[in-house]
Amino acid sequence: MTEINEQKVTGDFSMYFGPAHPGSGNFSIKCEMRGERVLKATADPGYLHRGFEKLMEYREPMQNAVLSDRVCVLEPLQWNLVHAEAVDYLMEYEVPERAKYIRVILAELSRIQSHFIWYAAMSLGTGFMTGFNIAIGYRDYILDVLNLITGGRVYPAGYICPGGVRKDLPEKAENKILELLPKIDYMRKFALKQNPAWLARFKEIGTLTKEEAIKFGAVGPILRGCGVESDVRRDDPYEIYDELEFDVPVMDDGDAYARFTVGMQEIEESMKIITQSIDRLPKGEVKTPNLKPRVQFQKAEGEIYIRNELSRGEGAFYMVATGQKTPYRVKIRGPSFTHMIPIIEHLLTDVAYADVPAIYWSMYQCPADVDR
Amino acid sequence: MKLGIVIEVVKNVFTKPMTVLFPFEKIEIPERNRGEHEFNIDTCISCGACARICPNLAIEMVEVPSELREKYPKTYPQVDLGKCCFCALCEDTCPKESIKLTTNFYFATFDKDDTILYPVKAE
Amino acid sequence: MSTMSDDSKNSLLEEKLIKNLNTKLGVSINFQKERRLWTSIDSDKIVDICTKAYEMGFEHLSTISVTDWLEEGKHELVYHLWSYSHKVLLTIKTKIDRKNPNISSINSIWGANAETCERECHELFGVKFEGNPNLTPLFLEDWEGPPPFLKDFNWREYVKEETYDQNNPREKVYFEVKK
Ligand code: SF4
Ligand code: SF4
Repeated sequence: MTEINEQKVTGDFSMYFGPAHPGSGNFSIKCEMRGERVLKATADPGYLHRGFEKLMEYREPMQNAVLSDRVCVLEPLQWNLVHAEAVDYLMEYEVPERAKYIRVILAELSRIQSHFIWYAAMSLGTGFMTGFNIAIGYRDYILDVLNLITGGRVYPAGYICPGGVRKDLPEKAENKILELLPKIDYMRKFALKQNPAWLARFKEIGTLTKEEAIKFGAVGPILRGCGVESDVRRDDPYEIYDELEFDVPVMDDGDAYARFTVGMQEIEESMKIITQSIDRLPKGEVKTPNLKPRVQFQKAEGEIYIRNELSRGEGAFYMVATGQKTPYRVKIRGPSFTHMIPIIEHLLTDVAYADVPAIYWSMYQCPADVDR
Repeated sequence: MKLGIVIEVVKNVFTKPMTVLFPFEKIEIPERNRGEHEFNIDTCISCGACARICPNLAIEMVEVPSELREKYPKTYPQVDLGKCCFCALCEDTCPKESIKLTTNFYFATFDKDDTILYPVKAE
Repeated sequence: MSTMSDDSKNSLLEEKLIKNLNTKLGVSINFQKERRLWTSIDSDKIVDICTKAYEMGFEHLSTISVTDWLEEGKHELVYHLWSYSHKVLLTIKTKIDRKNPNISSINSIWGANAETCERECHELFGVKFEGNPNLTPLFLEDWEGPPPFLKDFNWREYVKEETYDQNNPREKVYFEVKK
């Protein structure tokens, strides 16, 4: 017997979490292991590097609007919005009031469906398949509405374009959105139900303190889960967010459960924003007059750093224009960049390997915007 | 707690499922859906605007087959759906509304050449 | 939440902040638009100024970006700092020589966060950050060419040579594009 036991004593070895792991996304983490414990983790991004920043230097703004969807699968409409705002500023477009409301409604719908994916991914990571199925199912109701409005289920293809939106809302779209809200609310309540298995997997796991979060550059629900009240929509308002009323949910614990709860509470705020915007939705144009699909970028000169609150936190576009047809330089700052490299490396020191998926998914990761 | 589960089960037995039985039942596709292109050669003026704006170079201006060349002497857009990202910029930019994206999204094919949409088919 | 009525109050606050920054950092701060301030500094002062800015409440390093000004022969490094207390974005720009792109790392302030941003700049633009121990490749694997995001590296040419086949009728259109 003793012989067998001795053979079982394992030394140090390294193990990859992803990229072939179901649901890890196109991302991998190399874990240095001792037995069951992770001693040190190294993030290994790059599986989705498509070079968008360089690609955008070769394309015109309207084509870039189409490209900006692809920055992240979870929230294409919000990336559309960041890009459109950067071009709007450089081109000095006056965006019509109605377009601003439509932009906000769509961005919030996009946030809700993204949070559903978060719940789905967390369930998948911890083996709770029911949660995964139900969240993806409810997300589909939102996708149906997005398909009705933008013409694509996931990718809107630059629906939020420089100078406004590409088409006005179709008939009865407002009603369809309002009909969605009870379904969203059902799903939100389902996700927030106190479930002992869920608590055991996520409570006091991957705790990040407030100071660490700020130093490592955490944003969005991750930062708010650590007790910092910061929301770009409120601190640095864009579009019509300064006229709307909503709260910023904050939790002090800083663990995986707190982050997730903050995210789910945000759905309620998003629903408030949608109801308010639909109530006030003005009539009128949705595009800058004379806007052609071929936006002339020639006269634009200057630079701008536009920040937006995406569902996963602060996303930003830095755009430099020098009067050419195409932007001179584009820099995209994805929210997951800091979450997935410095923070995850910090959190995955001396934890059990079984907790790796829980921590990993609680970071609300999207490898697509880490690599761009 | 236990009763809650029972109620949930009973409710779910009687509600309509989220999915549909695909080939027999279909989900209604909204009119705006960006699917396969529909091209009207008679209204096209061969301006080439669609080919210039296409971000993926999916549109190529080509001549029609020789037997139809008398009727259609110019060059017309030919779309390669394999390169297309279905952005509908060609639809937006067309001055004559000759090119449109339809609700058809059944493109799965075994042959690469099937993805090319010719402006006009030779009889 | 800011409403229309306290806009003037906001700009007053901003003016105060600009004055404060001017004296504390010893640089001239420019106003771009609401909540966007920028300044341009010498590259050797970057650590000093970032430290002072951090102490003044600019705690969040949003990102570091590089712009390659080919004609000027310079790389422009742009540091975007956000302050949670003042609710202002401070952009610090500095230019370094394109042939000898060296600058000190700011990892003494933001630790691993700054290091990761710098790793990206090093990989894509070839900028060297002195004091950063971890400048290993981030996204590109087995890449031996020049840093790919430089303006004089023509991506399209490279892709054509490496990936596309001129004899393939579906790919020949890529060879007709200019630039
Ligand atoms: S839909 Fe977009 S990608 Fe497709 S052919 Fe038209 S312009 Fe090109
Ligand atoms: S389809 Fe429209 S845009 Fe394209 S060549 Fe014909 S008229 Fe011009």
